[in-house]
Amino acid sequence: MELPILPTSVIGSYPKPRWLLRQYKLYELGKIPEEDFKEAVRDASVAVLREHERAGIDIPWDGEMGRSEMTEYFTAKIHGFRFYGPIRVWGNFYFNKASAVSKLEYKEPLVLDELKFVQSVTTREIVKIPITGPYTLAEWSFNEYYDTKEDFAMDLAKILNKEFKLLEKEGAKFIQIDEPAILNHPNEVEWAVEVINRAVKGLKLKVGMHVCYSNYYLLADYFDDLNVTQFALEFANRNFRDMDFLKKLTSQELGFGVIDVHNPRIETPEEVARAIRKVFNYIEPERLYINPDCGLKLLSRNIAYQKLVNMVKGVEIVRKELEKKGKTSVPFRTLKDF
Amino acid sequence: MRVVPALIGSLPRPLGLAKKIELYSIGRLNEDKLEEAYREHTKKAFQKLRDAGIKVITDGMYRWDDIFNPLIRYIDGVEVNGLFKFYENNFFYRSPVVKGEVNLLDNPIPKWVSIAKEILEEVYPEATLKAVLPGPVTLAYHSLNEYYENLEALAKDYAEKVLTPLIKELEVDIVELQEPALASELSRATREEEVHISKETAKTVIEELGKLRKLWVVTYFGTPQVIPKGVILNVDLVEGSLPDGIGGEVGLGVVNARETKMERSDRIRDKLLKLSGNFSRIYVTPNTLLDFLPESVAWRKLKLLGRLGGE
Ligand SMILES: [Zn+2]
Repeated sequence: MELPILPTSVIGSYPKPRWLLRQYKLYELGKIPEEDFKEAVRDASVAVLREHERAGIDIPWDGEMGRSEMTEYFTAKIHGFRFYGPIRVWGNFYFNKASAVSKLEYKEPLVLDELKFVQSVTTREIVKIPITGPYTLAEWSFNEYYDTKEDFAMDLAKILNKEFKLLEKEGAKFIQIDEPAILNHPNEVEWAVEVINRAVKGLKLKVGMHVCYSNYYLLADYFDDLNVTQFALEFANRNFRDMDFLKKLTSQELGFGVIDVHNPRIETPEEVARAIRKVFNYIEPERLYINPDCGLKLLSRNIAYQKLVNMVKGVEIVRKELEKKGKTSVPFRTLKDF
Repeated sequence: MRVVPALIGSLPRPLGLAKKIELYSIGRLNEDKLEEAYREHTKKAFQKLRDAGIKVITDGMYRWDDIFNPLIRYIDGVEVNGLFKFYENNFFYRSPVVKGEVNLLDNPIPKWVSIAKEILEEVYPEATLKAVLPGPVTLAYHSLNEYYENLEALAKDYAEKVLTPLIKELEVDIVELQEPALASELSRATREEEVHISKETAKTVIEELGKLRKLWVVTYFGTPQVIPKGVILNVDLVEGSLPDGIGGEVGLGVVNARETKMERSDRIRDKLLKLSGNFSRIYVTPNTLLDFLPESVAWRKLKLLGRLGGE
């Protein structure tokens, strides 16, 4: 399978339409039936998927319309977790942090419904399924049961591995493991790498790994050890400075983050193009995917859309330049190719 | 009594209060109603602390979003920036960006302390109330410094020009300084290069503040590397250990405020028994802010602390 050179994608989340947020509230309060809520989520998924496609994104997703949060969505479906109540993340934002109270078990698919629905409505051949990784799930949960965090994370890795295999069987081509917490404890990174590798054991599809707002020099030491196809990292947030750690990325691909998700200012296509030309100093075009820094959910919807539009326009500027050198497409590489 | 249950820092902000604060922020609740909500929730907290047997308390910091805010909004020379991870927690604070010389502005914090004292008089007069402020070292470490030549100069000015005038205004006998940075500097997880404040400077700026009021210096997420004299030092025994060279009164973080699993009180008692010879008084506390726990679990842990009180 071939893709246009510099394939464009998203990291995962996208602003929920305001009407959907209202449905979330009503559903929470028990004022609408589950069926209606699910229908609203599906309609929003189609809307966002179309928005991604209209912006020209090659590898879209539905913006996580059915997920209220990035850990609870998974922990709620894994047997052995319990919830004692919400805790504050900042200001007046709370999340339901799960506690592992018994051995964790995989009882039901986690995101299969999402995948099947997105597959049924997208016009694109490949979509990217973001899934919170085993280390971050463990790090952002309480642990009452396991002797060590490593055991805890390893059991999560085994559960995720079952899910990934199921997704692969059902036609998934590209999953992305979100590990924003993986560098939290520098002395745990070594075993965290083992945990990730366990989660992807036996898979053949494409596996991306997203890490954000962390010290990438710490991650770079493990690029070669991590059994993933691609690292999706943020660069706009750090003004494309201090990229030398990329010298250690010698075989896998880079998902190059060119859109700042915390700033409402819309990047110009020329800025995006400039950033891409800069990263060519480290990574050749054939190993580059282009995406925003992180999920777009904190932005307002029209700004998120405009940012994606300009991201693709910026990519197109560089594609024209590459075309002159005869570079127009890249093969879709998976774990088999590494 | 040699083992005294005490609270440090914050309690989990009740959801009901959070909703009111949100309503206020979008103009759907007036200031009086919000103030009423703060007082009601503070009163409830004091009653529950009384029932749990916690003798030295704070106001639960319901008016604070994190240990720096809103204080940093009342500092001239400081702008408030986006969200940053508080150590390795999935908890975020707004960071001070230092653009000029720091100076304390008019602020409501002394008033808040007086209000809490009034409520305490009404429901739990036997308790000792501490006022909680961020310590100068931790404030400096969590600042984005765009003005001072180095972090030490910034820490000194935070102490002299912000905390000193503020502490003088507070109607309490004990001021608690949140100083996790004495035990745990910024994590390498977020920054590669680090600038440091020397142990001597850290010690001196805190000891200077100790001349104004009795200080309770709370450290967590590690073993304190700086031991200021003449203060009650709170040590996190869950994630750190007791450093050499402290005696007299000490605060010991013996229950884990970052895990929901309940501690066994007999094990904690054993631990305290071994240490009791070294101290004239031990305050037993959570190891860090209870904000990291769901409300129901936080209170269960406070009740456990309460049962440790006595000889
Ligand atoms: Zn991210």
